[in-house]
Amino acid sequence: MSDSAASPALETRGLHKRYGAVHALRGIDLSVRRGEMFALLGPNGAGKTTLFSILATLLRPSEGEARVLGFDSARERVQVRQRIGIVFQEPALEGKLSVRDNLYLMGLFYGLSSRAARARAIELLRTLGLEEVAGREAQKLSGGQKRRVELARALVATPELLFLDEATLGLDVDARRQFWAEVRRYVGTGGTVFLTTHYMDEAEPADRIALIDHGRIIALGSPQELKARVGGGILLLATDDDAQAATWLREHGHHPEVSERGVLLVEPEPATVLPALLASLPVRTRRAEVHEPSLEDVFLKLTGRALEGSPAGPAPRAAGGRP
Amino acid sequence: MRGLFAVVMLDLKRLWVDRVRLVSSLIQPLLYLFVLGSGLGASSTLGGKGYLHYIYPGVLGLSLLFSAVFAAMLIVFDRQIGFLKAVLVAPVSRFAIALGKILSGALQALVPATVLLVLLPLLGLDLSLPAFVELVGAMLLAAITFSALGVATAARFRSTTVFPIISNAVLLPMFFLSGALYPLDRAPIWLRLLAHADPVAYAVDLMRGAVLGRTVYPPLLSIAVLVGFIVVLTWLATRVFAAGEDT
Repeated sequence: MSDSAASPALETRGLHKRYGAVHALRGIDLSVRRGEMFALLGPNGAGKTTLFSILATLLRPSEGEARVLGFDSARERVQVRQRIGIVFQEPALEGKLSVRDNLYLMGLFYGLSSRAARARAIELLRTLGLEEVAGREAQKLSGGQKRRVELARALVATPELLFLDEATLGLDVDARRQFWAEVRRYVGTGGTVFLTTHYMDEAEPADRIALIDHGRIIALGSPQELKARVGGGILLLATDDDAQAATWLREHGHHPEVSERGVLLVEPEPATVLPALLASLPVRTRRAEVHEPSLEDVFLKLTGRALEGSPAGPAPRAAGGRP
Repeated sequence: MRGLFAVVMLDLKRLWVDRVRLVSSLIQPLLYLFVLGSGLGASSTLGGKGYLHYIYPGVLGLSLLFSAVFAAMLIVFDRQIGFLKAVLVAPVSRFAIALGKILSGALQALVPATVLLVLLPLLGLDLSLPAFVELVGAMLLAAITFSALGVATAARFRSTTVFPIISNAVLLPMFFLSGALYPLDRAPIWLRLLAHADPVAYAVDLMRGAVLGRTVYPPLLSIAVLVGFIVVLTWLATRVFAAGEDT
């Protein structure tokens, strides 16, 4: 026990996962401290869910090791399972059962006696402000209420580590805020949170963020550190022909990235170079924007692709059949 | 033990709130009995207590087999919607999950079977107390076997599109081979040989022994075969649950 209490909340070494020919994880090394809120941010298909499933004891790594609260997630699964709570992306509530019964049953699954499980359900409903829906069928709740019940379900066994997989997908702003307030309260009591997401605003409140792409961690740090990595402010130009603008910029010593939002430039003093650029660009600029780097920009800068939506890639018009 | 209790409780609570499934499981056996009994009975030449009495254990087998396997098929549905994951990450032994699923499936299958049991006097079947106990024992064994068969199968599948395939390609042949509707000892040799591999045949034969007092297989052999099926299938189901998302 003393041994596991001194260990990091999460630790992976050289983690690989292959599904036949698909190499989903290509050597993941991560360490998450206790009491930390840690986000794994990356596009769909980057390996987030695979890593999540390994840490949550549902998958075995092909190579390497994952330790959760000091226990091997492949060999000491029961010890891991006793200490973690998980909010899955998919619903894990029985819609026809009441909220209270859902929590009660989960308590039984985590080894509570029937009486203790009932008491724990009531206690959680009170803490999460869900008392008034306790008797309601889970399927009749709003999206935000459902997610908070899922959170309550994950907290039934008083876990040391909480896993959240795309936990606020599809929620409105209010419901999201309420959900994250509860998560922060859990962190405030000394809990550790590991969350995966492909939305940068979900990762933003985390203490540290790991960017994952093609099964590798491509950057790791606090949101501020990651943004500082971009090395300046962001200058975003939406032009009549982004591909042509990018070509011209490259010829003139800049390093542009093209995304669906426009041509992105990183400049130490973006506001200073803007007027000159506007005057000399061979294409018309419809909109120019100067802002501090976002996590989106970090991802784009590191991978040349946008985090959300379709990958930017080379513009098909420029590459395609010119006569 | 608590894990086992949790798995069974979850499934029974789910059945209880699913009124459509509950009511249809009460009506289904009546349908089987009267359609099969009057339809096939009219063209039957079997003597003795009449065809209805003859197929009564067969109808019990039919009801138990389909109810148990369809209860188990809900595992596939749970896997598809992601609900199963929440169960698999709980600190419950994989054996308890497998056994819990099997027992809860057996209990769910016994609901319609109990309706058939209540109808016994109406059908003019007078069973002595020992025969009745024998019948109930055989039903329990049959329910657990069929449920284990369902769970070991369903645990492997990821999509509910397999339901009709399982039903047509596995359950119906197993049922028709079993001798539930006709006497196996008058069947052609190839059919009798195939029936030897069919757990439904042993289960129906055991139940028929309790009702009519005669069997094709020695009762002890039937019991041994069914217990063997239960042990192997429970082991298989445990292995599948232990694999989690690795397959």
